[in-house]
Amino acid sequence: MKRSKTMEFGVGLFMVAGILGLVFLGLRVSGLTFSAPSQSFQLEANFANIGSLKPRARVTMAGVTVGRVEAIELDTEWFDARVVLSLDSELEGQLSKDSIASILTAGLLGEQYIGLSVGGDPEMLEDGDTIRDTQSALVLEELIQQFVSNMASN
Amino acid sequence: MTDAPFIEIEELYFSRGDHEIFRGVNMTIPRGKVTAIMGPSGTGKTTLLKLIGGQLTPESGRILIDGQDVHKLSRKALFTLRKRMGMLFQSGALFSDLDVFENVAFPLRVHTDLPNTMVRDLVLLKLQSVGLRGARHLTPAELSGGMARRVALARAVALDPELILYDEPFVGQDPISMGVLVQLIKRLNQALQLTSVVVSHDIKETLSIADYLYLIADGQVVAHGTPQTLDTNEDPRVSQFIHGEPDGPVPFHYPAEAFYRDILGDAPMIQIG
Amino acid sequence: MQSKFSNSAARITRLGRRGCDLMEALGRAGVFLFQSAVGVPSREGWRLWLHQMHFVGVLSLAIVLVSGLFIGMVLALQGYTILVDFGAEQALGQMVALSLLRELAPVVAALLFAGRAGSALTAEIGLMKATEQLTSMEMIGVDPLRRVVAPRLWAGFVSLPILTVGFSVVGIWGGYLVGVEWLGVFEGSYWSNMQASVAFVDDIGNGMIKSAVFALVVTWIAVFQGYDLVPTSEGISRATTRTVVYSSLAVLGLDFVLTAIMFGGL
Repeated sequence: MKRSKTMEFGVGLFMVAGILGLVFLGLRVSGLTFSAPSQSFQLEANFANIGSLKPRARVTMAGVTVGRVEAIELDTEWFDARVVLSLDSELEGQLSKDSIASILTAGLLGEQYIGLSVGGDPEMLEDGDTIRDTQSALVLEELIQQFVSNMASN
Repeated sequence: MTDAPFIEIEELYFSRGDHEIFRGVNMTIPRGKVTAIMGPSGTGKTTLLKLIGGQLTPESGRILIDGQDVHKLSRKALFTLRKRMGMLFQSGALFSDLDVFENVAFPLRVHTDLPNTMVRDLVLLKLQSVGLRGARHLTPAELSGGMARRVALARAVALDPELILYDEPFVGQDPISMGVLVQLIKRLNQALQLTSVVVSHDIKETLSIADYLYLIADGQVVAHGTPQTLDTNEDPRVSQFIHGEPDGPVPFHYPAEAFYRDILGDAPMIQIG
Repeated sequence: MQSKFSNSAARITRLGRRGCDLMEALGRAGVFLFQSAVGVPSREGWRLWLHQMHFVGVLSLAIVLVSGLFIGMVLALQGYTILVDFGAEQALGQMVALSLLRELAPVVAALLFAGRAGSALTAEIGLMKATEQLTSMEMIGVDPLRRVVAPRLWAGFVSLPILTVGFSVVGIWGGYLVGVEWLGVFEGSYWSNMQASVAFVDDIGNGMIKSAVFALVVTWIAVFQGYDLVPTSEGISRATTRTVVYSSLAVLGLDFVLTAIMFGGL
């Protein structure tokens, strides 16, 4: 009987360890947070070129992560990229209308993310608004082309 | 107690692949007696027990146990009927993950709601009757062959069945444990008024406990009767088996072509002289 | 001409017979799975299940964790030497975590499980069959499918996903040891790159689904091979080999199919 008790304990421990492992994977590895969806608000931004930006990419402000890219789709009216951002609800009503969203790259070949910087407009962005002022991704080929054509014209 | 036979086997046919094992077997097994089914190895004696237990289904014919056709029962009814049977397997077939005590307690635990103390008393009683009360904490791996078979016997009678099927109970036993088993089977049968069916080819031991004998060979019953009548039976097949003669109607040689042809091949005969 | 024709006809007949045999075996295995898995477990059933969790799960933990650690370490080492050429060694965490969660943990844990627990299940059930324990259980009036097979089937089904989680966790930790502690990748970028790229539902969830499918298939093959074998010592050894071979092939084949469905945009 005693042996069977320690065995039952072992199996219990095994299953608890499995659940803890899953929690670890969720929190530490996939960066899951327990914030409810109501605690975020959405903004939209149109970019002429998003480069290799992916859904779930970071949205930062002064280097601090404040949200994620929710969805990316083609705007068939203007033929540019419509990016839906999901931001911390703390920032709702805090960002001025003329805020700038730009696509930045971490390192030379790193992942791409969105950087926000605020402007000076007294009017603030609300849930569902669109950021007008955007800066597209730097595309390496275009940079090189520019450089080459500058050289040629000089 | 009625005089109606406990088991009736009527016109039983069974074959495995192309090999016919039973071709029209008829038997009646009386209530409260020890009936032995004997025959040379490979005549399907174990198969017959499996047919009686409902684990195999015959091609035709039927087996009635206490008036119920075993192979027409639903799965549930068959399992209910099996509670009234015990079976002792050749190897004992003890559950290797349980100790001796739990092995004997197994049928009680699955089929009854008896409180633990009562299960304990019953198990010890059964173990006492086979003389192994002291071995209750051993695992099946620690038992000798004879002891394992005695524990299996205690397990088979745990639910006080009306019928016990013994599959080759004496095979591979030393003379002492053979004697013990013979004693036990006899005593259990008398004490519990059981109907016993013993399948065996150990003539001496079987003759000493059986009330009635069936001898099967070539898929049929070749003789039946009390031990005394069979002993004096004139049929050469019967006397060969009962008296253990090496050659007779059951040949010593496996069928083969003539010996000298096999040795000499098709070479022309050498003229001698 | 005639003999050539009858020869190929015989070959086709043989092929047909093998096909029929295969379908028949699959049918039997399906009925077997249904009969053992369906039904409400009793109190006793829970106890038996717990017992099997110990043998199938807890005792496989050591080999799975050790393998996970080494695989994570090797991944980090190999990944680093490739990524450093592109100056992208910050992406090491992402690479280690994604390879483990999506592929290596479910597949390698399932292969180890087939070798460690699957073969033991086959041999154990086979031995019970060879020593007539299953038959005698039936004669006592207890269904061996419910008593012997079902607890093992469920224990395997629950154990392997847990083992897979353990494999991933230890593997990611092993990658951390090699990448961060030894090769000097910045700790912050190891974790943050990982968090930015790993999605809970898409990566961890899909990995778990794979693992559950593998668990079912491997345990099913193992218990069926044990239950269906020829009850001799040769039969047991053959069935044990078959368990490992069939379940390894099934795991690798199914992995391709599942990956194509989950990540291949099908």
